[in-house]
Amino acid sequence: MGSGVDRVFDALADPTRRFVLEVLAGRESASQSELAARVPVTRQAVAKHLSTLAAAGLVRSERRGRETRYALEGTPLEEAAAWLDRVGTEWDGRLAALARHVEERASAETST
Amino acid sequence: MEVQREIVLPTTREDAWEALTEPSRLEQWFATEVELDLREGGAAVFRWGDGDSRHAEVVTVEDEERLVLRFEDDGVVDLRLADDAEGTRVLVRETSPGWSTALELSALASWAAA
Repeated sequence: MGSGVDRVFDALADPTRRFVLEVLAGRESASQSELAARVPVTRQAVAKHLSTLAAAGLVRSERRGRETRYALEGTPLEEAAAWLDRVGTEWDGRLAALARHVEERASAETST
Repeated sequence: MEVQREIVLPTTREDAWEALTEPSRLEQWFATEVELDLREGGAAVFRWGDGDSRHAEVVTVEDEERLVLRFEDDGVVDLRLADDAEGTRVLVRETSPGWSTALELSALASWAAA
């Protein structure tokens, strides 16, 4: 997994690649030439950036006819959101139970 | 990636620490059956009525201050106590298992938020 982290960090370290991700975030998918029209680098550079992003798992590609389309891979972000939501809800419940437990003991002590 | 929560308990530091570290008290709010060897490197087992169980190792114990547990899936729970005008403040931080995944996701999240 160490190399996975390195790949993601390397992929995100470059401003052009971050811009490519931003462009992809705003649409369902884009071809290399559509991206080249938006990103101020050569088409070959776009192709290279896309392969780096795909290797890091941030972008996926699919062939549609003669064209390859690229799209943002949203799964990692969705998994992150689901984890944050689940663990946060668990602690909300546990801390509420802890507070009840402490309060019940305190009132049991004062009543005895 | 981590989740952080806090609560103020209307009780003393000593009582809050007991509620967080004594198995008989943990069994009243956290899990159905609790084993906790309260020393660094000590083992902890939490079992629930539905058959679920989690094993952990005590990473840090600072009396009435801090308890850190590392769970078998590498998730870390860090509990800290502090004085509060209303009683005792409990701060919980749970760090996601899979450190590398966490790094990737936080990198992604900071990119998405930027």
